[in-house]
Amino acid sequence: MGGRTEFFGPVIREPDEPTFHEGWEGRVFGISNFLLPLLGRNTDILRFSFERTPREVYLSSYYRRWLGGFEDLLEQAGYLAPGEVDARVAGQSAPAGRRRVSRARLAATSALVRSVLHRTLPPWFAGQVVPRALGTARPALRRGRFTSGDRVRVRSNRAEPYTRQPGYVTGKPGVIVAHLGATVFPDAIAAGRHALPQHQYTVAFDGADLWGDAAEPGTEVRVDLFESYLEAL
Amino acid sequence: MSDSTAARVEALEALLVEKGIVDSAVIDEVVEHYETNVGPLNGAKVIARAWTDPEYLQRLLADGTRAVAELGFGGPEGHMIVAVPNTPRVHNVVVCTLCSCYPWPALGLPPNWYKSPAYRSRMVAQPRALLAEMGLNVATDVTIRVWDSSAEARYLVVPERPAGSDGLRETELARLVTRDSMIGVGQPLSPAADD
Repeated sequence: MGGRTEFFGPVIREPDEPTFHEGWEGRVFGISNFLLPLLGRNTDILRFSFERTPREVYLSSYYRRWLGGFEDLLEQAGYLAPGEVDARVAGQSAPAGRRRVSRARLAATSALVRSVLHRTLPPWFAGQVVPRALGTARPALRRGRFTSGDRVRVRSNRAEPYTRQPGYVTGKPGVIVAHLGATVFPDAIAAGRHALPQHQYTVAFDGADLWGDAAEPGTEVRVDLFESYLEAL
Repeated sequence: MSDSTAARVEALEALLVEKGIVDSAVIDEVVEHYETNVGPLNGAKVIARAWTDPEYLQRLLADGTRAVAELGFGGPEGHMIVAVPNTPRVHNVVVCTLCSCYPWPALGLPPNWYKSPAYRSRMVAQPRALLAEMGLNVATDVTIRVWDSSAEARYLVVPERPAGSDGLRETELARLVTRDSMIGVGQPLSPAADD
């Protein structure tokens, strides 16, 4: 959405905002903890499903688009049949998705979900075990192409149907300011394609290079971008 | 809409329980955990420690995930926490234009305004004007550095320690650190205002 004027408007803060505004938001959030390990342990698979929800659903609310995305993914994976949730809401019987999860697997997932539900965690667990279990860092076969200080340009096209290359930096020049290591490549994994892990860099863009005359003076935007999005300048 | 959404979520959860996909008792625990244990008070402890312990600040800037974990905080959306320090010359502010990425273990779940299309679209394009609208006037000789968390890193702003806080202990300092100051859309409270 970066820089897209159709979305511009006032930003309104709510005093003493609750974690969840309605009970169902918390239920959707809780359900997500179980679906992430079930549907591939990758947040981009979920994000891609949110982006595919109809525009009015996407824009209606954060947890509403989670709900829409989850229903789609559960249908695709065969856990839900089309119309199964509608029928349940209406109190009617309907064909059901045939896939189920074993008790042993549910118990394992529950244990995993519960493992982080503590006010504080042992530092070794929070700092090393959890990041490895939940993170997407993977060893890369070769070294990164870029190092800090390199001038780059973001390629002029964006991958379809899913990418983490924001539209507003597409085609823009910037400077590498950090190498963040290699991770699984979201564009591929969200679309169900296999791909090698990719190096990831923080790229600094001058406001004037992004927005031209409309840029505010003394502003810079830093964006984390995957290596295949970038060309050497 | 929300009545029908609530009914839909209830139906979905019931189906997922029948299929062995979720355990409702664990969902109760997840909700309670995020309502009571996870929130900006965690991040405030991290910042107060960084203000009082220069070696901790160095570790925080070198490896945010591990430094945050030293205080016992970690979990989903916290596998690569990067702390970025404000200075007299640079003011940092965080946004996620592609979705709503946010360092949950340090700040809790994001507030609605952070997830709003208006914030996500404007912060990268007109940060100075938007920050001013939100009550934070950044001097024209201070660079505004906007972090668009578009991939793995989740950014945590380390605000500058407020003037007049010299004699305060770590727990007192933590009370000055607001959520907004760790996102970069506000400053910490001043000790005088805390009286």
